[in-house]
Amino acid sequence: MKWLLFAFKNVLRNRRRSLITIIITAIGSSAILIGGGFALFTYDGLKQGATRASGHLVVAHNEYFSGEEDSAMQYGLSNWKDIKQRMEQNEHVKWVIPRIQLSGLISNGEKTAIYMAEGVDPEGESRAREFLIHKGEWLSSISAENEDAQILLGKDLAKSMKADIGSSLTLLSTTADGALNGIDVKVRGIFSTGVPEMDKRLLYVDIPTAQALLDSEKISTLHAYLNDTDDTEIVSDKFHAQFPNNTLKNWEELAFYYVGVVNLYNRLFGVLGLIIVIIVFFSVTNTMSMVVRERTREIGTLAAMGTLPREILRNFVLEALVIGIIGSVLGMAIAGGFIVFLENAGIMMPPPPGRNVGYPLLVYFSGQLFVLTTIVLIGISVLSALLAARKGIRQPIVDALAHV
Amino acid sequence: MDTLVSLRNISKTYHLGKTTVPALQHVSLDVGASELVALSGPSGSGKSTLLNTCGLIDTPDEGEYTLGGESMLSRTSKELTMVRRNKIGFVFQSFNLVPVMTAYENIEYPLLLTGLHDAERKKRVDEIMNQVGLEQYQQQLPDQLSGGQRQRVAMARALVKQPMLVIADEPTANLDTQTATHIIDLMKDLSRRYGTTFLIATHDQRMTERCDQKIILVDGKINTHDMNMTRDNALDKGGNG
Ligand SMILES: Nc1ncnc2c1ncn2[C@@H]1O[C@H](COP(=O)(O)OP(=O)(O)OP(=O)(O)O)[C@@H](O)[C@H]1O
Ligand SMILES: [Mg+2]
Repeated sequence: MKWLLFAFKNVLRNRRRSLITIIITAIGSSAILIGGGFALFTYDGLKQGATRASGHLVVAHNEYFSGEEDSAMQYGLSNWKDIKQRMEQNEHVKWVIPRIQLSGLISNGEKTAIYMAEGVDPEGESRAREFLIHKGEWLSSISAENEDAQILLGKDLAKSMKADIGSSLTLLSTTADGALNGIDVKVRGIFSTGVPEMDKRLLYVDIPTAQALLDSEKISTLHAYLNDTDDTEIVSDKFHAQFPNNTLKNWEELAFYYVGVVNLYNRLFGVLGLIIVIIVFFSVTNTMSMVVRERTREIGTLAAMGTLPREILRNFVLEALVIGIIGSVLGMAIAGGFIVFLENAGIMMPPPPGRNVGYPLLVYFSGQLFVLTTIVLIGISVLSALLAARKGIRQPIVDALAHV
Repeated sequence: MDTLVSLRNISKTYHLGKTTVPALQHVSLDVGASELVALSGPSGSGKSTLLNTCGLIDTPDEGEYTLGGESMLSRTSKELTMVRRNKIGFVFQSFNLVPVMTAYENIEYPLLLTGLHDAERKKRVDEIMNQVGLEQYQQQLPDQLSGGQRQRVAMARALVKQPMLVIADEPTANLDTQTATHIIDLMKDLSRRYGTTFLIATHDQRMTERCDQKIILVDGKINTHDMNMTRDNALDKGGNG
């Protein structure tokens, strides 16, 4: 305690220099914390988006992801109702939702365009995903017997078809047997995905309609939504054992964008963090070298009085520790203040490429990141002090005492 | 009287490029316990080198050195540090106090090293501060003290652990005449009180006069060797071999 107090007084000896070192450490620390917190915020957002889109686990026909179908639904799941039921029995599973992927031509009688459609369970999907509906309503589960099937159109596709709510259109596709099939549909709603390319092609139909169009009982994929993303692995292991003849993918394998961004940011912020750590290291080393040089005679005096080299070293290390701790704590305060500020400021980020919806800018607070950053920066300070002071204590006492 | 410091045939040569400087040449010397020894001689005669050798912060090239009957050569630097910590005090020409420590803390420092427990430490520091007349200045920092006061702090720091030997290299050189006289008297007083041996390098005539033994170095050799016989029990134990 006494030594720490002396270290503190020594830090105050050259206030300006100590202050600069502390500020550099604080800026470095807050930059790492804010950068890291932003990365975590981004990862979390993308992760939520990814798991919401695909669910946590997807079960499909063995060839579904790898093979090329010769005909529609060749690699669909025929026994899907049974699989779905068994999946739903798992305690970690919240919902299991079937989907059908299909494509074909859409026509308003005068004009034809290519569409990509997803056959969905309207009720299940509305629980799992959020759809940005511009006009009209989401599909309804109970489609009346005598009425036309309903679809939800991407907003650019609707524009291209000159369609509005209630408009009648025709969907064309090839059936599982290779025959051409058509079905009349009514527009129930118009949506936007946020991705213009998708809005130009995508539409949603309910599963019975899709199956009727394809003339097949199958579905493409089953999507399991879990209560907790952290359980993905446990459930995955279970499903692997339960469904050895099917292919199983977890959300991360399907979230190419998420994985790409995580890799990029990890590298980006990793390099940034390394640069900051190096700057702090040189800054503290520089300060401590000056301190040691200035106190050469003091070192000689203490050594003459019978202070062991490691005891002298300890004093310098404590000094660097004081600088490191004050700097880190200040950095944490800056980062913490910034995080709170962002939470209240409601700053919107511009839409990312390919999207037309922005999102609020936030920086996550991660206790782990704070602790790790602080440990690293304080460790770096101590290391700098050790390296700087080692030179000082190595010289002969007589020379140190003669130093002016 | 017991011999505390015994030097035999001590030599030390410095090499400056191609020229060699013999700082000490076959110096032999005995100093008794609680003696006050003045070391004088022209600049460059080897006074500091001799003191540094006796204070175990410099090592001679050859010779024998025993302190309190124990040989001091061929010891590890850690062992030497421990001998200095427990048995040797230093007083420097420019005081060399630690600027961030108060007068009290500077004096306390050697006792923190020896690991004396709190109550005893405080007692000793208070006592020595009274001895040197600094009881009013406990909480002052060195730069709030005059030169004479600083040197008194330094003396208290050297003596607080009650060492066998105090090394003082020109302790009064940075002080005015009057203050220097006070310091000299104080040294003599403390030497008596604590039975401490003082080795003092000095140019100051009054200092030399007040010492028990007077050694003059010229070109690294002991030239004249004088006993002032100011003390009843002082016997001629010194000699240049
Ligand atoms: N580190 C060193 N390197 C080279 N030569 C040295 C060194 N230290 C001392 N000397 C030389 O050794 C000789 C004795 O030096 P020393 O410092 O012991 O003399 P001194 O009597 O204390 O002198 P002063 O009265 O000036 O303090 C001198 O000639 C000096 O130049
Ligand atoms: Mg000298």
